[in-house]
Amino acid sequence: MSALAEILFGGLFQGSLYAMMAVGLALVWTTIGVFNFSHGVFMMLGAYIAWQLVELGLPAAVAFPIAVIVMAGVGWILQASVVRPLIGRPNIVLVVVITTLAAGSLIENGALTLWGPRSKQIPALIEGNTTIGGVGVSLHQIAIIVITPLILAALWMFLNRTRLGLALRAVAQNEDASHLVGLNVTALYGLAFAIAASLAGLAGIFMGGYRFMSPVMGADPLLKALIVVVFGGISSISGPIFAAYLIGFFEAACSYYFGLYWTPALLFGVLILTLMVRPEGIFASRSRGLA
Amino acid sequence: MTDTATLIAPRSTGAAPPVAPGRTPWKHEAAGFVLGFACLALLPLIFGDTYARHVLIMVFIYAVVASNWDLSLGYGGVFNFGHLALFGIGVYAYSLLTKLAELDPWIALFASGVIATLAAILVTIPILRLKGIYIILVTFGFAQLVMQVIISQSDITGGTQGLVRIPGLYLFDHNMVRDGKFAYFYIALALLVASTLFLRVFVRSRTGASVVALRDNEEYAISRGVSIVRQRMLTLAASAFFTGMAGAFYAAYQRNASVDVFGMSLATIILSMVLLGGTGTIYGAIIASFVLTIFAEWMADFGAWRPMITAVLIIGVMLAYPSGLAGMIKAAWGGVAGRLKRPA
Repeated sequence: MSALAEILFGGLFQGSLYAMMAVGLALVWTTIGVFNFSHGVFMMLGAYIAWQLVELGLPAAVAFPIAVIVMAGVGWILQASVVRPLIGRPNIVLVVVITTLAAGSLIENGALTLWGPRSKQIPALIEGNTTIGGVGVSLHQIAIIVITPLILAALWMFLNRTRLGLALRAVAQNEDASHLVGLNVTALYGLAFAIAASLAGLAGIFMGGYRFMSPVMGADPLLKALIVVVFGGISSISGPIFAAYLIGFFEAACSYYFGLYWTPALLFGVLILTLMVRPEGIFASRSRGLA
Repeated sequence: MTDTATLIAPRSTGAAPPVAPGRTPWKHEAAGFVLGFACLALLPLIFGDTYARHVLIMVFIYAVVASNWDLSLGYGGVFNFGHLALFGIGVYAYSLLTKLAELDPWIALFASGVIATLAAILVTIPILRLKGIYIILVTFGFAQLVMQVIISQSDITGGTQGLVRIPGLYLFDHNMVRDGKFAYFYIALALLVASTLFLRVFVRSRTGASVVALRDNEEYAISRGVSIVRQRMLTLAASAFFTGMAGAFYAAYQRNASVDVFGMSLATIILSMVLLGGTGTIYGAIIASFVLTIFAEWMADFGAWRPMITAVLIIGVMLAYPSGLAGMIKAAWGGVAGRLKRPA
């Protein structure tokens, strides 16, 4: 009983974080068709900005939303500086990988210079602990498990029910036609990056609330988010969300039964096997678009 | 008018059909090749101190890895992000073969190349059906998988601690440790010469032409009878051999091995060399490894500012010159040559 509860809880918790990261990656990929390798750095930066604001004396309830909004700006700036000028180049996928990697390295080392290598922690969303099904959990983690689906649902509503969201989906489906009907494609590119960066920043704030922060904290979640989007199919939003929770459960079960060391190897093994059977990811439809 | 005509149909004497428009005749290239590497071979006579030689040895190792990566990435058009894993496999293959199996270092050096080639063939299998971004993700996953396996088998591989006191190479009774890195310099240079020669012959061959055809127009190449499975496997295997050897040499030279070779930072540096040099040139990657390595050493005192300056530099070049340094040089050369050829 306790084992099952532990796996279930661990899966839900890890899955929430992966979903927040993976959705941003998938959003950028579907709209712009590039892969943002500085996504993990967004996560780190969001956490550090929140920490800095709390350190300046702001209450967490004010500091966290400000950090998320600042991250939207960072995403926009990054898109405008290292992605947008390259659009239209024949090898854009490859070049954007290197420019986003370089930008990530720039931000990471900037954070290291600015805030130093010493580990920091930001306040939890809710302090305190409780016991569910024989497993001790913190209220912070429960808050994450509850909040994440709400945010993802809000994103889904935005993409499917608002004019702006529909415009984003239109760009994802057919860029030329979007141009023709008068959508500001450039601005929508920026918007996709801004949303992705905000979500990653929020994931960073969540993570900084229960674990010590460091300038390289985004590397591992980025890796997991990559697995998630490959596993779930990168060309949709719902696919990565399901896959995120699935990977979360898989990881929790693996580390419970096989130990922490074998978990990453098993994950990558499953990933490669999945791609051999279903190259588009297990939840993906064959078309490119947001749903 | 005349300009477009020469672009479409390059002037030929009629005796032999043009091999490829704009391609350097092989005699010119061979002359440049010999001249360039002869200059490199003279460098230790100019630079006496071991530090300068060490930097050059590292340049040669990086140049081998980067130029081989350019074969699969630039020529093959395969978005292979697991190339550094082949280098890492070379490092660990050499370390384990010499340390545990107590194999002769020279045989182990060669065997490491073979093992890396086999690993490349293995990783080709899952990516045969894939395209673009999915190849990036699977090959990236492969690199991580190799690293995780090495970490989890810490009894043999030393895990995150790595391995130390790996046997080095030897030359009869010559003391390689106390010769001011003289012998290692020439071994590294020989490796680079062999690798570059192999790569250039490969890309100029019929096979190389078919690989480029697959990259540029997959459907058309397949319809003309080029096998995507065979060519892709061949390209990756060909790019793996010298990469594995470079990894083995790196282990023999440094005399230790760690999982850092699988890390993102080294991959980013080498990938920058490939892209900064200009993909699909081979020589571009080699030039860029000189530029980036020497630049990084030159800025060694800058601390945390060094990676930041390097990052800004890479972004700047990528934005301004998408075809990299090779494109930059070509454009400059074209300007000069055009002016010289213009009738007086």
